Amino acid sequence: MSFNSLSLNKMYPANHKTVFVLDHTPYFGISCENPIEFEFLKTRGPGCLPIPPFSKSLWTCSFESAIEYCRIVWDLFPQGKLIRFIASDNLAHLINTWSPSQQHLGHITSMMSLIGIPPPVHASNSKMDYTVLHGMKAAIEALSEITDKQQEKMTSDCQTKLINRCRVICITSARDDESMKRLEEIFLNGLIQQNKGAAKSDRLLVIDHCHLVIINTFPVNVESQVSNHPPKNLSPILTTEVHSVKASLVPNKLSSLILEHYDLASTTVTGIPMKEEQNASSSANYDVEIYHASTAHTAILKGNASDSAAIQTQKENHEYQTVTLKWCTPRGTTGSELQNCTSMHRITPVDVNSRPSLCLINFLLNGRSVMLEMPRKTGGKITSHLLAAHGGEIFIHTLCTARSVLEDPPSISEGCGGRVTDYRITDFGMLIKQNTLVPVKPTSVEKNVTPIMEVKSRLSRMTRYWPLTISSTLIFNLKAYIDPLPSIITKESITEEEVYQCKQIIRNLINLENKHESLHPLNTGQRLKGQKRDEQYRTMWNELDMLIKNNLHTENHKNIHKCLLECHTFKDEKVELDDALRELDQIGPTKAELDTQRASVIRATTDSPMSPPPLATIAAPFTSRSSGIYSTPKTLLDIFNTQDKSKSRPDFCGRMGDNLVAKLYPNLKTDNDRGPRTEGMEVE
Amino acid sequence: MAFSSLYEEKSPFTRDYNAIKATLQSIDDYDKTCLETALHGVNQMVLGEWGNNTACQIVLVTDGSVGIGPMSLKESLSTNNQRMTNNPFPIPFSFPATLHVVCLASQTDLCLQRSKPLYQKLIDLSGYEGSISLPDQLSEAGVISVFHKLAEDIYTSFNGTLKCGNLKSRIMLYPAPFNYTRVTDFDSQTYSVSEIIEVLGFISVNDIGSPMAVSRHLVLHASSNVKDSTAMDTEIDSTYEDESNDEGKTPSFCVLLHGALKVENMAALVSLGDNWFGFIYSWADTKKKSNLMLTLLVPGSDSVPWLGDLNYLGCVEQFDQSCSFPIRPSEKRSYSQNGVVWIRPAGLQSDIQKILRHARKLPEKTQQFYKELNRLRKAAISLGFLELLLALATIFEQECLSLPGNLHPDCAVQLHHAADVLKKTQTQDAKFVITPYLANYNNL
Repeated sequence: MSFNSLSLNKMYPANHKTVFVLDHTPYFGISCENPIEFEFLKTRGPGCLPIPPFSKSLWTCSFESAIEYCRIVWDLFPQGKLIRFIASDNLAHLINTWSPSQQHLGHITSMMSLIGIPPPVHASNSKMDYTVLHGMKAAIEALSEITDKQQEKMTSDCQTKLINRCRVICITSARDDESMKRLEEIFLNGLIQQNKGAAKSDRLLVIDHCHLVIINTFPVNVESQVSNHPPKNLSPILTTEVHSVKASLVPNKLSSLILEHYDLASTTVTGIPMKEEQNASSSANYDVEIYHASTAHTAILKGNASDSAAIQTQKENHEYQTVTLKWCTPRGTTGSELQNCTSMHRITPVDVNSRPSLCLINFLLNGRSVMLEMPRKTGGKITSHLLAAHGGEIFIHTLCTARSVLEDPPSISEGCGGRVTDYRITDFGMLIKQNTLVPVKPTSVEKNVTPIMEVKSRLSRMTRYWPLTISSTLIFNLKAYIDPLPSIITKESITEEEVYQCKQIIRNLINLENKHESLHPLNTGQRLKGQKRDEQYRTMWNELDMLIKNNLHTENHKNIHKCLLECHTFKDEKVELDDALRELDQIGPTKAELDTQRASVIRATTDSPMSPPPLATIAAPFTSRSSGIYSTPKTLLDIFNTQDKSKSRPDFCGRMGDNLVAKLYPNLKTDNDRGPRTEGMEVE
Repeated sequence: MAFSSLYEEKSPFTRDYNAIKATLQSIDDYDKTCLETALHGVNQMVLGEWGNNTACQIVLVTDGSVGIGPMSLKESLSTNNQRMTNNPFPIPFSFPATLHVVCLASQTDLCLQRSKPLYQKLIDLSGYEGSISLPDQLSEAGVISVFHKLAEDIYTSFNGTLKCGNLKSRIMLYPAPFNYTRVTDFDSQTYSVSEIIEVLGFISVNDIGSPMAVSRHLVLHASSNVKDSTAMDTEIDSTYEDESNDEGKTPSFCVLLHGALKVENMAALVSLGDNWFGFIYSWADTKKKSNLMLTLLVPGSDSVPWLGDLNYLGCVEQFDQSCSFPIRPSEKRSYSQNGVVWIRPAGLQSDIQKILRHARKLPEKTQQFYKELNRLRKAAISLGFLELLLALATIFEQECLSLPGNLHPDCAVQLHHAADVLKKTQTQDAKFVITPYLANYNNL
């Protein structure tokens, strides 16, 4: 067997198409003889007359069980699991089609109220041909109809053959095993006949396999002659099984069948604290049972055999097992971080209208989430699941409880680039905010680019020139002068007004230069020291040129660039990028200084407050013995003055303690650096 | 070695090389080659330790024999199709696993010729690409070289590029991601992670919720010796200052991205390949160390229901018609619909009690009384539960008799009226709505 056939077994499941055939013959109008008693009526005074006992009919029992089956399926699988209803008396009543618009409870119940109760047993009716066979025949026809999903698959993929698997659940009442056997045979013949017809038609599908589940039911005070039989292959295209149950037990039977049919499992959430209805001050613990896909349990059940045996119990009066997990009262907000979820499935409560269920549901729908715990044999417990609502739907998330292969991972600050401390994190935060995604409806149909691809190209446009660190850029530190030019220039198209705005910014800069005013990088908390004003301008112009040159998206963009070229004459038109960078390196405080200054910033993002204090701040004063030549009084004064201008700057480390000598320019090594710095100090 | 895939029933998963060596010295002979049991053991052991979504390597070292008799591999495989659910064949494993068979047998071994197709079948069953290896010659050197080659094949790291527009970084994913086969009702497709992982946009961590992850991987900046020059465009060369030999001081886009995502509490939506998406976010395993993590979603643009189709996400600025997360399904689920389920008598009883509670508070609760009454009536009719309507009429009449004297007269009037209408046959039309009885004193 190859992998292909393996996945074929999983693909095309029978539960894509299910037909319920409900017996609507006069027999189903009889009472199921299971009187309903109301507790609240018993407490009344003796003067009251008792309510005459009443019970549901066989029809009510079978129909309400069937729609409960649908409720669960459609809660868990909003799409792709189709169910049709056919009521059968003297003819087949088709309640709905495979169309998704008719696949909801409202449609089915309102159609059923038109059909009403089964016809009465009258002498005049005796000649009518009341039988479930009409419904069976109609069901077979329905199975060979093509659903939207099947149609889609057939048109999109012609190579692989579609397998039409399906299921029929028939709730009826047969006299004995013999008549049940005949029913199965008639069904098989019907299938064969239908397939013969379908083979010739292109509007019909051949039925590759059908799973026929017959539920034989009868009033509770009757003994049935029909016996159960487990699934057996009547033919390669038909598997049948028979369940014979009292009317009152049809819902339970369908509950265990649904788990099998849709591969579901049951979880009982235990220990839910709930206020008492009568006495609001006290609270008691309740249990709520939910259904969900069985894979939500795989991780916990397959691991440790003794642990899994301990949490599984037989559900009372049912034929299946439920896994009991303990409610954990949520602390804080669990939704604010990404949990490591290995699976995620929709859930639905088994008893949807019970008070504990409603309580749990409302708790979750109001946006809170609940962790579920599983006890361990070895002692202790482990948080294994998370219940949470997203957009009005409730999901069970399986959390990873196993050992992680990522044991003791390094911190990002230990890796490449980890010790660079002046990343433009705030600016990138802005970029993130500008590119935050929301659900959109595409503006125009003719565009064959998906919205997400438009965002991608937008991101690419916005990052045409985007230096990573503060020390590698000048213009992005001159926001006061050049904003909003960078945000305008990266737009896909810009208006005349924005062009004017940009030109104005350029002209302003020219004016400032002509007035011999220095540029003050503001938002960085650092000040330009030791750079000649004209060099500063040259660097700025070159970088601005680079930014605009990289963003020549439209004619208007080019106009701005043209304006730049007209206003400013680049002395050396071929200023290399490297030159610009070298200049940039000379701007502002030296790297080591920056490191200590901004260490707190980067550490704040990579480390938690629990981290030890940064090494740099401790080490700095001691490593600076040898720095001598620039620690003249004038320089210190100069630094003191700058502190007045930018308060946010940390105190000069030499001033922080007694007898500490600070190394002021630890990175001053090259001649290149020395010149402008000393001069700059004197000038300003 | 990343994580030990060496496995011997007596030795747990460990990185302690000496411990493995010691246990290997003391292996006893088994009585019979019975692979199925061993594979069950593997399944149990891995699930217990690593759970069901950690990828594992299984190396089966054998002499090339597959056993004989009822528990032989041949027998196991031939009965594979008739297994019941309570006794499944261990392969495919319950976790992603590649099976590597190393046969320490001569190339010409006759037994091997028969067993090789069976091993291949095992590997096919596992659903992932495994291998069968043989030593060139049955000698110590031959065996060592087989294992060397195997180790090289298995432990290849994933090297790729993380891109955000024009910003890029060479990255390594640890552990290396596996191909993923998504089987849906109508489709089965295998997806693989592309070399280039591209940022598409950003979503707040709160909005993402906790979607199902196929796997999670640490995103590590690949060191510069792996860096290849073609990955860098000339225009962004400025962002890579290679002057410094110290890697820690070379700015890395990864670190910038991590810092900003952490500060903003956002995650980056990335494309992993054709129609496959993931999230990159800041993750901390302990209080101290934080890192860049990549979560692979289930392939397909619809893998997170409350985010909608991931292809139809955009920025507010770019699109006129935008809404917000989470996306709500067009139809409400049964638990938020206030539907009628009377399978258990308690459900029916509480619905009736609700009506009676409203009845005692008439005329203030007239609207609620009739709303609930009509809801119950409609449900009873669609279920064909006409017996209930008559019983309810009787309950109403009884209720009238037991009303305390200090209640508003409207209670009795409306209860009588409701009981009368319920009994009339015309009420069997589902669309009929019972309306309040307009008594004259209501207008006074």
